[in-house]
Amino acid sequence: MNAPGLEIRQSSAGVWGSSSGQRKVPVVSKYIDTSTCIGCKACEVACQEWNDLQIVPTAQVGTYQTMPRLDANYWNLIQFREVEANVPSGDFAWLLRKDQCMHCADPGCLKACPAPGAIVQYENGIVDVNPDACIGCKMCETGCPFDVPRYSARTDKMAKCTLCVDRVQVGLEPACVKACPTGCLHFGTKDDMKELAASRIDQLKRSGFPQADLYDPPGVGGTSVITVLAHGDHPEWYGLPKDPHVPTGVRFWKNVLRPVGVIAFAAAFFAMVGHYLTYGPKKPKESGEKSRGEGTV
Amino acid sequence: MSDAALSGQSARTGVGDLAVARARQTEDVVAGGEIVRHKLSSRVIHWSVAVLFFLCLFTGLPVWTPIFGWMATFFGGLAVCRWLHPWSGVAFAVASLAMFVHWFSDMHLTGKDREFLTPGGMIRYFRYQGEDPEVGKYNGGQKLLFWAAALGALGLLLSGIVIWFPELFGQGLRELSYVVHDLAFILFFAMIIGHIYLGTAAEPGTFGSMVRGTVTKDWARLHHPRWYREVTRNGRPP
Repeated sequence: MNAPGLEIRQSSAGVWGSSSGQRKVPVVSKYIDTSTCIGCKACEVACQEWNDLQIVPTAQVGTYQTMPRLDANYWNLIQFREVEANVPSGDFAWLLRKDQCMHCADPGCLKACPAPGAIVQYENGIVDVNPDACIGCKMCETGCPFDVPRYSARTDKMAKCTLCVDRVQVGLEPACVKACPTGCLHFGTKDDMKELAASRIDQLKRSGFPQADLYDPPGVGGTSVITVLAHGDHPEWYGLPKDPHVPTGVRFWKNVLRPVGVIAFAAAFFAMVGHYLTYGPKKPKESGEKSRGEGTV
Repeated sequence: MSDAALSGQSARTGVGDLAVARARQTEDVVAGGEIVRHKLSSRVIHWSVAVLFFLCLFTGLPVWTPIFGWMATFFGGLAVCRWLHPWSGVAFAVASLAMFVHWFSDMHLTGKDREFLTPGGMIRYFRYQGEDPEVGKYNGGQKLLFWAAALGALGLLLSGIVIWFPELFGQGLRELSYVVHDLAFILFFAMIIGHIYLGTAAEPGTFGSMVRGTVTKDWARLHHPRWYREVTRNGRPP
């Protein structure tokens, strides 16, 4: 955990919940405008530097993308996508998206995590990981609807973007925002960022992108990384799920099966106690026949 | 040597009696006034499965829910449990396979056994009603436990492999595996609670059949009448 001073809203594998709720802390958010991103990857470098991550070899994937997917040592990846479709600018769109942890208000990783305190959500909305508590079970990978958490075999821990919580808690913006040269990244309270997004979307709509929209998916309670999409009606063009939510299997497992199981064990135990008190033991009737230890010749 | 002589010898010299000890290597024979129900290999297999089941249980429960988080302490923490659980699960699957092969031929469900498949039949058994003189070495409930344990172990193994190596499988299969692993484990554990209760408190004399391997003739006549008749007729007369 990078931010022991921050108040925790919820923690993985908590029994009674952990929100202190004593102070009103504004939810923060990172603002990403995909329409002004030039794909310079300054944010990738800044992320590697600030978080002191190990060097990951790049891989040629046929585009300008640094590597195919996020890595336990690469938390911020600009994705390049070419889409052939009927768009306002013609029949072709060249799309860039900053792939990273979305910091969901309802985080699937935290829901799936069995290790107490390994994944925490602070009152300000940041979802952070605590390597000391992580047991490397990879369940968060299944819980995440955005395919973000990465397991490292070297450390036997998972890792992902922390929204630079260590910078945020001392009043600095995340490293990627600091490095961005075009101003397509901003950081502030979520309310402020939504306001900024609204004005940019208005601008886009007037500039020939009538479908421009904000990606802040309600299925996961909104995210603390909000993305302006010029083609807001097609988030899948950017590699974003259309209606993400915590996976059904994970919710069923944690919300239904777990309590049902605990109740079933208690019920089985008390049924046995009740049976013993009601019917008692089933003893063989004395037949007078000798059994072991009583026999004499 | 007659049974009576064996019995007397056993009483004088105690457990160390060589002839009785040798007889206890074979199942379904009378030895020392008692009937050998489970030979040594049966008991070793049973307790291998049982010990590994509890190892899986106590390393799995703290991962399953933080309510049982304190159990992890006995193994050195949750990270140790996360490492130990899959490996003990593999060992449990191997032991379960040995158990399946060992008991398979005894566990074919016959006509009367199928009554246990109905809730009514199960309730009658627990109310000590409907005593059936044709119950052989294993009753319907025991056979049911055998098949449920075999299916449960298979389900736990397959879903466990997916949970262990999620990167090799798709999202749908991973989610399904969590549900299958949980369901199989809940049913398995609830079943084992009943199994332990019936084997100890509810039916005195049963536990010994899995420790020393023997049961008294009275016990056999009460719980497994046909088996009792077969054993005493084939062996020495009582």
